[in-house]
Amino acid sequence: MIRAGQCFSVGLASLGINREYSMYSAADDDYLDFLIRVVPDGVVSPWLAKCKVGDHVEIGGPYGDFCLLEEQVKSKEYVFIATGTGIAPFHSFVKSFPTLRYHIYHGVRHEDERYDIEHYAPDRYSAAVSRPRLGTSRSERVTNLLEQANLKNDSLYYLCGNQKMITDTIALLLAKGIPGGAIFTETFF
Amino acid sequence: MKISISYPPIINDRGQKAMVSQNRNVQFFKKPTYLLPVTYAQAATALARDGHEVLWDDGNAQLKTFEQWLDDLVQWNPDIIVFESTTPVMKFYWRTSEVIKERLPQALIVMTGYHSMRRPEETLSNSAVDIVLRSSNVDFVLRRLVEEISKGSPFWRMTLNIEGLTIRTGTQEFRSTGNFIQVEPLDNSAIIDRDLVQWKNYAFENGNFLQTPGTYATSVIRDCMFGKCTFCRYNGPDLTFSMMSVQRSLDEYEDLIENHGVREIFDDSGVWYRGRDAREFAQGIIARGLHKKGCYFGLNTRFEYLDEETIRLLAEANFRFVLLGFEAADDETLQRLNKGYQMEHVERCLQWLTKYGLHPHLTIMVGYYWQTQEQLDLTVRTVKDLMFRGLARTLQVTICTPLDFTPYHQECIDSGVLLTNDYDDHDMSRVIVKTPIPHERYYEAIRQMYSIPFHPRFIARQIMFLRYFRKRDWQFLFTYSVRAIRRVRQHIFNLTRASE
Repeated sequence: MIRAGQCFSVGLASLGINREYSMYSAADDDYLDFLIRVVPDGVVSPWLAKCKVGDHVEIGGPYGDFCLLEEQVKSKEYVFIATGTGIAPFHSFVKSFPTLRYHIYHGVRHEDERYDIEHYAPDRYSAAVSRPRLGTSRSERVTNLLEQANLKNDSLYYLCGNQKMITDTIALLLAKGIPGGAIFTETFF
Repeated sequence: MKISISYPPIINDRGQKAMVSQNRNVQFFKKPTYLLPVTYAQAATALARDGHEVLWDDGNAQLKTFEQWLDDLVQWNPDIIVFESTTPVMKFYWRTSEVIKERLPQALIVMTGYHSMRRPEETLSNSAVDIVLRSSNVDFVLRRLVEEISKGSPFWRMTLNIEGLTIRTGTQEFRSTGNFIQVEPLDNSAIIDRDLVQWKNYAFENGNFLQTPGTYATSVIRDCMFGKCTFCRYNGPDLTFSMMSVQRSLDEYEDLIENHGVREIFDDSGVWYRGRDAREFAQGIIARGLHKKGCYFGLNTRFEYLDEETIRLLAEANFRFVLLGFEAADDETLQRLNKGYQMEHVERCLQWLTKYGLHPHLTIMVGYYWQTQEQLDLTVRTVKDLMFRGLARTLQVTICTPLDFTPYHQECIDSGVLLTNDYDDHDMSRVIVKTPIPHERYYEAIRQMYSIPFHPRFIARQIMFLRYFRKRDWQFLFTYSVRAIRRVRQHIFNLTRASE
């Protein structure tokens, strides 16, 4: 059984190399969606970017426990904090649990990395753009948003992204009095 | 404060010593090899730099008897004693904590390790331990703990608020400080002080070193970047992984080679760098000229993690030993273990490694509670084939033993297949789960696989490698083989208990 937010190993049969990616689709979708950034000197992502319909892609999994507890979904409020494609498991959560009470704080480099923002209610999604191109937003990081946010002690905090963001955010949350037991992390590598 | 990081000699009734073995489980051997506990060595280094008096107290590596070890510890009179536990030695540690408390009633005993961190109250109920540390980041948490305790508050047991601890507050009363296990940036951890941990005690008796002195690097990955294999202790929501920067690790390698004369360095991270980081590391070794210093390098990795270009670079940087978990050859077992690779890609990875002159080492397991004769035979057949064709150079086979409340352990408990409740039986010396075929079949499979290095086809293949005139292949055949034979005899001897 697939649970929202789990990850899969994805690779090309011709390559013999795989990488893990968090799912972007809902748990009960009849397909798997992934949100993958092409790493220019990477091995798997450039190949995946060149894939054509009919190419054979190998999928292994699902793996991992970066998931919501179903019994808490109705009673709890959630804060999702991501950098870049780290928003993937949160998209999976939101799509799987339509009544979820959540707010997403999303750190991106450029405005066009605010993937599928129309999938989230406008009052539930905040982006921090570190290198704005459009001139409509100022440069800031996701931790700047969190510093200003009204964060509740009884919410659950899910973090997904690069190691530095996770380390910095944990320190910030703890300083704001969020109990460590309410923080869950998935580090990208 | 005076802090002792202690590994008491653990000797069983057959005169064998406990040592860390495959998957960092404890196994008993007559002639053990001594592996440096890297995270604890970092903890010792960090505490010493904080100004504390630290005793690196590895009774095994220092060749002490239990009585010598205990007398020396009592004489040193530490304020805090730190132990590392795992399932098969839990009862030993519980008894030892009682013995120590009788002789050092003022000393605080801190229990760490993957078993007690998942069952902290069990350890506190059954021992004289004061604190169970529920984090794999032992070095970071110990520093904070020691700092707080050293303030001297008489009420610290009630007031200490460092998360991830369970503290004894009465004879059978305990206080948890919360479940949170913080993600720690590994660049903030200490690079091991080699003199403090007496690194030469670990530099020679290690079967994975082709050249000595060898040593373990400060791990670049803590826990595991994959972290999903069900049998492995680097798995669970209480664990996260963190990674050290490439340049920092390179600095340590340079120091080990230039200032300590190390001739083989192994990084025992659950899984070492991959992709861009792995290539950057190899390029860094080459740029610093460390690949020409006569020192080999080794790593743990997974099938389907390293591509051919990365492997070529690693070979150019003088990497040699590559340890790969090859837990079984059938897809059902690999899926049940969440291994995340497919059999069809195993051979290609090994071909790349062999092509560039690296020495793949396979770690194989048998005795899964579902493993049929057909699955077992397939594993043995595949391993023989890979070894005879020169695609793997060395191997290690163990019985998959549920322990430390890994998902596999919990699965064995939940499905009622565990045959014992005695933690002493979890020492990998025999199968302790119900299986579809007699246990003796698994022991026979182990004997067969350990016999491969003595087979004429394997030896002939090693001789064929000599035509490449690589120094490492000559060393492998004429130096390493003696040690390998000794190790194989040890492993086969250990199985005699299983047949008793």
